[in-house]
Amino acid sequence: MRHIAGTHFYISNPKIENSMATATKNIGHITQIIGSTFDVEFEEDQLPAIFNALKIVSEHKGVKINLTGEVQQQLGGGRVRCVALGSTDGLIRGQECVDTGGPITVPVGEATLGRVFNVTGDPVDGRGEVKTEERWAIHRSAPPLETLSTKTELFETGIKVIDLLTPFVRGGKAGLFGGAGLGKTVILTELIARIASAHGGYSVFAGVGERTREGTDLWLEMQEAKIGDTGRSVIDQTCMVFGQMNEPPGARLRVALSALTMAEYFRDKTGADTLLFVDNIFRFSQAGSEVSALLGRMPSAVGYQPTLASEMGALQERIASTDKGAITSVQAVYVPADDPTDPAPATAFGQLDAFLYLERSISEKGIYPAVDPLASSSRILDPQYVGDRHFNCARRVQTILQRYRELQDIIAILGVDELPEEDRQVVHRARRIERFLSQPFLVAEVFTGKPGEITSLEDTIRSFEEICDGKWDHLPEDAFMYVGAIEQAEEQWKKSQEK
Amino acid sequence: MANPKELDKRRKSIRNMRRITRTMELIATARFKKAMDRASAATAYTERITQLVSDLTKAGLEVSHPLLEQREQTENAKLLVLTGNRGFCGGFNGNLLRAGMSRWNDLTSSIPHVGAEASGKKGIAGFGFQGIELEEQFTQFEDKPTFDEVEVIANRYLEDYLAGKLDRLDVVYMKFNSIARQSVAVETLLPLGSLQVATEDEEEASSSDTIYEFLPSPASILEEVVPTSFKVKLFKCFLDSAVSEQVARMVAMKAATDNAGDLIKELSMRYNRARQGRITSELMDLVGGVEALK
Repeated sequence: MRHIAGTHFYISNPKIENSMATATKNIGHITQIIGSTFDVEFEEDQLPAIFNALKIVSEHKGVKINLTGEVQQQLGGGRVRCVALGSTDGLIRGQECVDTGGPITVPVGEATLGRVFNVTGDPVDGRGEVKTEERWAIHRSAPPLETLSTKTELFETGIKVIDLLTPFVRGGKAGLFGGAGLGKTVILTELIARIASAHGGYSVFAGVGERTREGTDLWLEMQEAKIGDTGRSVIDQTCMVFGQMNEPPGARLRVALSALTMAEYFRDKTGADTLLFVDNIFRFSQAGSEVSALLGRMPSAVGYQPTLASEMGALQERIASTDKGAITSVQAVYVPADDPTDPAPATAFGQLDAFLYLERSISEKGIYPAVDPLASSSRILDPQYVGDRHFNCARRVQTILQRYRELQDIIAILGVDELPEEDRQVVHRARRIERFLSQPFLVAEVFTGKPGEITSLEDTIRSFEEICDGKWDHLPEDAFMYVGAIEQAEEQWKKSQEK
Repeated sequence: MANPKELDKRRKSIRNMRRITRTMELIATARFKKAMDRASAATAYTERITQLVSDLTKAGLEVSHPLLEQREQTENAKLLVLTGNRGFCGGFNGNLLRAGMSRWNDLTSSIPHVGAEASGKKGIAGFGFQGIELEEQFTQFEDKPTFDEVEVIANRYLEDYLAGKLDRLDVVYMKFNSIARQSVAVETLLPLGSLQVATEDEEEASSSDTIYEFLPSPASILEEVVPTSFKVKLFKCFLDSAVSEQVARMVAMKAATDNAGDLIKELSMRYNRARQGRITSELMDLVGGVEALK
């Protein structure tokens, strides 16, 4: 046991004190606690490395504490500043703190499938311990550039607006941007239902700073959903990691890494195609900003941490496909105050292959998914990848919608009658296209009252081509709401006529 | 939060639009008054002529004139659509075109040779867009159609009709009922069969006791009066259309000015909010920076 001069021992429970003291552990003592960060003093020559995990296990006056902290800064004089990954309530100065000698580790491997974890890799689904052969540190370096995969392949989702205008990349990253209440989580859940149930590989879900209830819903839903006709539940191929709203910023800051580490294991060791869903990556930046000031960094634009871009980069660069396996990731990104120029969503923008921007004015019209067809785009919407037909069709749709948007002020002032015939036709078709971009979701059956529609890419392209050509000008606008392929719009119209 | 600069730019352009629409509203009001005077002046003449014809028929004469006879077979028909030369008058041109198109479809389905003619650039463009070729097109009629100009067209129709090259003429125009009400009218002007029917009721009361003496003979007078009556009727269509166009423009521009005002109000609010938001966040950055440096 090392003696640390000038430290007072407040810990009353001798058992804990002894257990910590017996091994040759590197023990420090808390000197300061500020919100969710705390300072620990070690021997100068025993200073723990940055990102090392420190454990505090104690019981003081009946308050049990089992806290993990992560070293963020070395302050000099043997002191380090840590971010707590749990609540700092009940911590006291002088408390013992053990350096685990390495970063936080999470269990990885097949045993994690079907389970729910917290940020430190402990199962929280009440199904007992997870026995895995390996535990991996959550801080890893991004795959080196020579191993990155350069394959570009379209990833079909069966959602018309996504497949046509923002085709996802297999092994790429897609982002769902949107303000509060526009349906990011619904789209993400829908994608899980569509992709994961048709997907042979593994899925990892990271719940970052969102509602716990949504996590529970998802967990239950995954148990019900079956993969194809194999009879196995989606959950059997999925592991979930949650650090939700109620958790301290430290947990929300690291939970994405924990989930990512599990996904990386599947990619590197099994070579399987892995899906990584993150809801919501903005909370990661937000948590970083919460601890940033407490760590003594000067705030940058709009009060965010000065390290915003590098934090985001470090996370996103690891979500990559290599020659061993692919990680396809879909991330929800909250856009504060519907302002996409806010630094947090803006730094996420650049990292993605495809991004969907959800627009409030569209959701106000009752069109879901409320994807803005003009603000959203994809790297592979390029004739080189999707082919000329798909590309031209998407461009035509966008041109019509763009023209409609330009005319909107004129229509608001003068009325649609004032437009020349050509423009009136554009408006006519644009309004139909706008509505045709809606689609009934598998997971939103209770809202739309219609069973989910999976539309093949071929059907999608053909339908939009026909609308652009004016083949369906005779159908009323309502007929285009919440249908799959164009024939269903006609059916819907006939049905409403019969009534 | 939107870009304040962009919002301001949009607001400026809408302000300009409002300035234009307001001016056009004032111009339309002035033109409407003039057109209205002309129309009401012509109304008196038209009424008198129709009264005369109906009096003639009441004189116990066998009225027979080629223009009044219904032809057994309609081989050649013509559709004349009167629209405006300019837009910015709400649904005026659109409604006329729509009525014109439906009549066009009716005619072409039942009559072998149908020709279309249109007055006004909007009508010409509208037919062009639908891929219908116009036999004649006129753009010389503004808000002051003169009788001389209309007479030229009317004479051509009369000649064609008498020569048997035309059996039926339909005119689509905007009928001026009152300042508050104009309606699209589709009328068959040739053959003039509808002449008596339309006027019979009202004439009964006013002129039943008028006694005319016809010199040299009712027939020769009829020869003169019937074609004139057609011309006057056609002229009336042009006049009504001109008045209605100005009324429609007045109303549309008034609405447009109001709409632009609403839009400016909304944009101003958004602009102010965006600007304020920007100032606040800049202040917060400054204060935050200062605090951190302490």
